[in-house]
Amino acid sequence: MENNNTVLLEVKDLKVEFHTDDVTVHAVNGVTLALKEGETLGLVGETGAGKTTIARTILGILPKPQGNVTQGEIFFEGADMLRLSEKEMKKIRGDKIAMIFQDPMTALNPIERVGDQIAEAIRLHNRISHAEAICRSMEMLEMVGIPRERYLEFPHQFSGGMKQRVVIAMALACNPKLLLADEPTTALDVTIQAQVLALMRDLTHRLGTSVLLITHDLGVVASTCQSVAVVYAGEIVEYGTVRHIFNNPLHPYTKGLFDSLPNLDESKKRLKPIKGMMPDPTNLPEGCTFCERCDYAMEICARKKPAEYEPEEGHTVRCFLADKEGI
Amino acid sequence: MAPLLEVQNLKKYFKTNRGMLHAVDDVSFTLDAGKTLGVVGESGCGKSTLGRTILHLIDSTDGKILFDGRDISNPTRRELSRLRQDMQIIFQDPYSSLNPRMSVSETIMEPLKLRKKFSNQEIAERTKALMDTVGLAERFWNTYPHELDGGRRQRIGIARALALGPKFIVCDEPVSALDVSIQAQILNLMLDLQEQRNLTYIFITHDLSVVKYISDEIMVMYLGQVVEKAPSHELFRSTLHPYSKALLSAIPIPKVDAQRELIPMKGEVTSPINPKPGCRFSARCPYVQDKCHEPQVLEEIMPNHFVSCCRCREINEITESVKGRN
Repeated sequence: MENNNTVLLEVKDLKVEFHTDDVTVHAVNGVTLALKEGETLGLVGETGAGKTTIARTILGILPKPQGNVTQGEIFFEGADMLRLSEKEMKKIRGDKIAMIFQDPMTALNPIERVGDQIAEAIRLHNRISHAEAICRSMEMLEMVGIPRERYLEFPHQFSGGMKQRVVIAMALACNPKLLLADEPTTALDVTIQAQVLALMRDLTHRLGTSVLLITHDLGVVASTCQSVAVVYAGEIVEYGTVRHIFNNPLHPYTKGLFDSLPNLDESKKRLKPIKGMMPDPTNLPEGCTFCERCDYAMEICARKKPAEYEPEEGHTVRCFLADKEGI
Repeated sequence: MAPLLEVQNLKKYFKTNRGMLHAVDDVSFTLDAGKTLGVVGESGCGKSTLGRTILHLIDSTDGKILFDGRDISNPTRRELSRLRQDMQIIFQDPYSSLNPRMSVSETIMEPLKLRKKFSNQEIAERTKALMDTVGLAERFWNTYPHELDGGRRQRIGIARALALGPKFIVCDEPVSALDVSIQAQILNLMLDLQEQRNLTYIFITHDLSVVKYISDEIMVMYLGQVVEKAPSHELFRSTLHPYSKALLSAIPIPKVDAQRELIPMKGEVTSPINPKPGCRFSARCPYVQDKCHEPQVLEEIMPNHFVSCCRCREINEITESVKGRN
């Protein structure tokens, strides 16, 4: 599947703003990305970087009326998603594009049997009988490793890891082309996280699903994704294959992220945190958004926004230092 | 030198409708001044209950706690109030552990005020010094928690814990709610404070890379019991208990091609209510045998390396020989 080079999803120069009474939050500021069929792309960044907003915009579920797309295009299978009517979007949601949310505890209806919740999703997009839907729903449960006898149970009877499996079963029930997974394992323990990630890898590989995986955990990215986009203050500051990003990180922010991680090989040495905090999204600096926290900042960085440079093929970096050579 | 903290056969059971929940079951350890004991395990393994029981935030069911040579298992109210000066806690969630109606300075000075020992001026000076120690600028004096980000809020929690000059702090997942770059700032701060003030920490976390980074000794808990205890390096170099092995193999490593083989674990954590006498991990253990259903003892397999598994020697010999063949 990975050799397939058809582009499934293309986001071009996307800008999203949230308007409140007195301020405008610049959540996404010119994001461009492409996802091939069968590819898993990791969207990495800290809280408030705009990762979830990107996913929600793709699915057309931005909170209205505060959230507005002010610029850009999103193409999915060639169709411009931002121009589709709500009716057409409803057909796509849950069928061709599915989403897994971070918290499995709140993603399920607490007073509906889990099997019925999956069956409902199937029936919404397929003209099949109730009995057939139940049958499919049971198959999905088994596919994610839950015995079909548990069809009639309620969400509270499941543990966190099991609930996330149910959510995955529901998301994959209609065999979507694209899966948006927003921190799917953040609420889970490491051993359960490992199980759920292995399950997702296995299923999406088998079904040929493309995945946009949103996470803040670089370890999860290394084990799951083929390409990575590092998001900072609503911009993609570095983009490339997993090898590019992990073996040759070029943007100072990406480097900073790696340096902040406690290393399993050494201990009790001081970590190298990134100083300061992400800029206020209502009042972004004029030049490079990372400039204030950057150890390599130059005079030009505060004045001018760096363009995207491509120091090696398929590896783009939004930093002046990447213009000619690596830092 | 006598250890600062000694815990002997500590038990905490909770009564539930379905029976006794063994949250902490027969946990013993000693901790020297200036050292850090990391407690790791998954949700529900009793690590937070352990920390809270030691601090008497909840009463223990059975067992003995010695602090600074004194038995503090059943303190009187007066003793308890004195103990609070020496023992403090930093909570996980800097969003819910602070009173939203108290400003930064009020939050930090509250313990000092309760002490009724200091003049107003002294309190203000000490609060300023504390804010400086944890890296909060003075301009936040009258700020309220909701105006601050998670990292700064956690600094308030640390300053408050330090206010009365404790010797010992239970850190209950202090960096789990923070982003990595902020997490690194807070971890560095905690290490600095430990050096400057000779603090002793119990560091409770589910994040194994953090625990290895900060601890001298690590205790792995499973369903209320200690399954393995060893010096930090030793535990990561030679992990002996099947559960610890599985736990360690599950950490995602932020390196390409560095993924180790995942040691499979069957199913999920079983119930801690009325557990059977044998090894509590046996239901999920790939090496389970009949003798695993008998009570297990925490045995010193190598110097300072304790493991609670009857097949420990056998299993690890097997893996050794497998390695040799490859």
